Amino acid sequence: MAEELLKKAETDETEELLEEDDSQKGMFMTFQTGKEFFGISISYVNEIIAMQPIAAIPEVEDYVKGLINLRGKIIPVIDVRVRFKMEPCEYTDRTCIIVIDVKSTMIGLIVERLADVDTIAEDSIAPPPSLGRKEHEHNKYVYGLARTGDTVTLLLDPEKLIKQDDIMTAMEEVRKEEQS
Amino acid sequence: MKILLAEDDFASRKFMDKQLSRYGECDVMVDGEEAVDAFMMALEDGEPYDLACLDVMMPVMDGYQVLKAIRDIEAQKGIPKSKRVKVIMTTALNDERNVKMAFELGCEAYAGKPIDVEKFEKVLTKLGLI
Amino acid sequence: MAEEFNTESMLDMFLYESGQLLEKLEGIILEKQDADCFDDADINEIFRVMHTIKGSSGVLMYENITKVTHKLEDVFYYLRESHPDDVPHMELVEKVLAVSDFVTAELDKLKNGDTPDGDEKQLVEDLDEFLGRLKGEIKKQGIEMPQANRHVEPTQFYITPVAGDDSHFYRISIHYRSDTQMSNLRAYSATYALKEVAEDLLYTPDDILSNEASSDVIVAEGFHMLLQTKSSKEEVIALIDSSEAEEINFDELSKEEYGRALGEFGREEPEPAPAQPAAAKDDGNKEAKKEGPKPGDYVVKTKEAGKGKTLAKNQPKQQSIISVNVEKMDALMDLIGELVIAEAVVLQNPDLKVPGLELSNFQKASGQLSKITTELQEVIMSMRMMPLTNVFQKMKRIVFDVSRKLGKDIELEVIGENTEVDKNIIEHITDPLMHLVRNSVDHGIEEDPADRTAVGKPAKGKITLEAKNEGGKVYISVKDDGKGLNKDKLYQKALDKGLIENKPINEFSDKEIFRFITLPGFSTKEEVTEYSGRGVGMDVVVKNIQSISGRLDISSVEFEGSEMTLVIPLTLAIINGIVVQVGNSPFVIETASIKEFVRVGEDDLIHEPSGEEYIVLRGECYPFIRLNERYDLPDSINKIEEGIIVVLEHEGSQVCVLIDKLLQEQEIVVKPIPPYVRKVKGLSGCTQLGDGSIALILDIAGLLMHDGERR
Repeated sequence: MAEELLKKAETDETEELLEEDDSQKGMFMTFQTGKEFFGISISYVNEIIAMQPIAAIPEVEDYVKGLINLRGKIIPVIDVRVRFKMEPCEYTDRTCIIVIDVKSTMIGLIVERLADVDTIAEDSIAPPPSLGRKEHEHNKYVYGLARTGDTVTLLLDPEKLIKQDDIMTAMEEVRKEEQS
Repeated sequence: MKILLAEDDFASRKFMDKQLSRYGECDVMVDGEEAVDAFMMALEDGEPYDLACLDVMMPVMDGYQVLKAIRDIEAQKGIPKSKRVKVIMTTALNDERNVKMAFELGCEAYAGKPIDVEKFEKVLTKLGLI
Repeated sequence: MAEEFNTESMLDMFLYESGQLLEKLEGIILEKQDADCFDDADINEIFRVMHTIKGSSGVLMYENITKVTHKLEDVFYYLRESHPDDVPHMELVEKVLAVSDFVTAELDKLKNGDTPDGDEKQLVEDLDEFLGRLKGEIKKQGIEMPQANRHVEPTQFYITPVAGDDSHFYRISIHYRSDTQMSNLRAYSATYALKEVAEDLLYTPDDILSNEASSDVIVAEGFHMLLQTKSSKEEVIALIDSSEAEEINFDELSKEEYGRALGEFGREEPEPAPAQPAAAKDDGNKEAKKEGPKPGDYVVKTKEAGKGKTLAKNQPKQQSIISVNVEKMDALMDLIGELVIAEAVVLQNPDLKVPGLELSNFQKASGQLSKITTELQEVIMSMRMMPLTNVFQKMKRIVFDVSRKLGKDIELEVIGENTEVDKNIIEHITDPLMHLVRNSVDHGIEEDPADRTAVGKPAKGKITLEAKNEGGKVYISVKDDGKGLNKDKLYQKALDKGLIENKPINEFSDKEIFRFITLPGFSTKEEVTEYSGRGVGMDVVVKNIQSISGRLDISSVEFEGSEMTLVIPLTLAIINGIVVQVGNSPFVIETASIKEFVRVGEDDLIHEPSGEEYIVLRGECYPFIRLNERYDLPDSINKIEEGIIVVLEHEGSQVCVLIDKLLQEQEIVVKPIPPYVRKVKGLSGCTQLGDGSIALILDIAGLLMHDGERR
């Protein structure tokens, strides 16, 4: 993870992330969606909020659920299940939103239920297998598998999760706006 | 030439002393009142200063007060304009109102800190000191 | 120390004043470029401008500027004193502009923190030569030669400080071994050594010499210093005695970080003034404080070790005009936006909706609050409003320059230059406008005047630059009476370049054909000229304008001329909107684009076989959009009698939209939809409503366009 980040450490933001990484190294926010457990490096996580009313936006990808109002800041939320092409499920009172900050883009992830904050040692992370088609689908966002107890946690790369090209266009537009 | 330097900050004082000593004998004062005293003393001894470099922010009297005192004393003693000591204010206070005020009080030059040594020298030439 | 007194610096003031004077100068010149000569008032004014810049540049010792302005001042001195006839006016205009350009370039260098090192020799020689001829002319005409212009050399000088850009900022922490004796003295020797190179030095603990106990603190917590210096890291390290030191931490800080760190070191906390003779002196003259600095304002209280100086007297600050950082204005704008939202949250709070609640006092107070927030908004808006004068001035200059270089005779008419728009918008339109103006001069106006007279137009070309403010929008148009756009040519070219669908020309409307020139990779001129058109341009213009939710309208008649109109919003941030509901979603419609609300019945609806629907209102037929179908919104009203029809107007075209109900009218703080979300046609932004929920803002233009495309 750190090495991967290092390669990308071109912007100040990622450098800041790295600094945070020192204290938060190997810490993962894990959540359950369907039967699987997922983990996101805690350095990306801004906060966890309860499910709240979402203003739908018409004509966008199905996994973009809409916009929420986070103390005056308007941020988009995506449904992780739909993003992984799984059957969507009803939102319950255990459903919550993980607000992540990827290269200054704030995005909310709707997850079925939060599991825990786990420390995952680097040597217990295995690269994901790349066999079946379904696995292949996941590989886009999963960069490693971690075994804790008898559960396997799929470690997500948030940058890929919000789709590399998405954020690229987002960044570009922001940059353009700044320039013009 | 004879130079009076009033500057309370040690670092600046050292720097200015080094610069000015190239042109002549330099007396160093650390607050405004001392500067006026030294000016008075030199005048009474008949060996007035040719140049006075005054910091603005100083204890007891600030640079503007010193400048005003010097010009008042000179006026009182009937010293003609051409014989007056040349005064250069040296300060980090660079806003226009301060500069204008200093000009009105009758300084010859106003040097913003950090001081541009090259231009400082040019001014000394223009003032006919070197 | 400077951060305590961040009023206009001497240099800023010089730049500002000179900039203003030069603008004025260009104004005069361009106004009189076509006249036969300058009148007395102009000559006086130009003389005065040169004299002022010469004087202040002399004080600041920018000698090249002084020399150039000095020469031009001389020229105008002779013109003023002798009034010679037959002055080559055009040449004189060029000379003045050359000087103005030279000085502007030097001022720009100063603004960027560079040395104004432009070589003035050639310009001075040219002016000398011109002056020589002028004097010759005066002699020839037998006018008495005035006494030479007397120049007073400045007797007072301002030495601009060395640009502080090459300063480094360091945070240095020294941890001594726990058995170190008298660590306070070691710390002192470190500060002493650093004073050699320091521009600013702060340290903590700060009582190292006066308090022996400080040595325990130093051993326990380390000795921390903040240093501003020109020296490199290596030089600084070499100065510090590292014996007995267990660890030395050395961080280079940015200027901003340094500023923040100053606070930690107690620079910003003013401490109670100890009794000091100087402090007592100033008590008598409190009333006079507002008039600006006076001698005695800068007496230093006491210099406390390791801290910056504090003044015995607080510096009074009062000015009738202050300049404000635009970022601060934007921050204020954002805050007021938040305030408007917060106000709505309070006034429309669901807690207030208890039946039978007596609220008359609350209503009164809230009315007052609304009034104040509205005024506050108006004030900040007006602070941000700027006239287009400066932009138009630039355009005048461009027309002048380009037309002369191309050898075209062009007259420029300017209308409505006092029209005000938001500062942000001005920044966005300057470049596009410049491009349009260049295009008009270069491509619009015919090269050969004979081509013009042949079609009954005057030989002299005319370009009209016009700004007006209408219905919350600003229209800025560039109109020329040139050759106009040739539709066949545009069509053929777009086709050849593969920019458009291959269909016959008559299937395109005029507007569509004109719009071809805004396609990326389109340029009507075969040859690229210096002034316009490299095939990039019009598409960039359109993009820039769209980024501030404006648009470009093109109209043209061949042989008669073209008109390019930028239509831009007056301001971007806050609009008046009506909140409506469709299904479960609130939407906002800008009040200005709503024509009316009506209820209609099924009978007023016309169903086309294609599935399109129209509404007939008072005998007129309008296109009809069901918002719930368009955006696939569940739980909404489908029966037309039950809902409300909003008639929207945009650019003369109208559309009827079916909504469920009206919620309220309020001021809407426009926020962009986060860039992560794909752009949706018909939506221009979003906003937060009083109850904290989010509403999408409908973009009528997009809605209409979308509708058109579907057909």
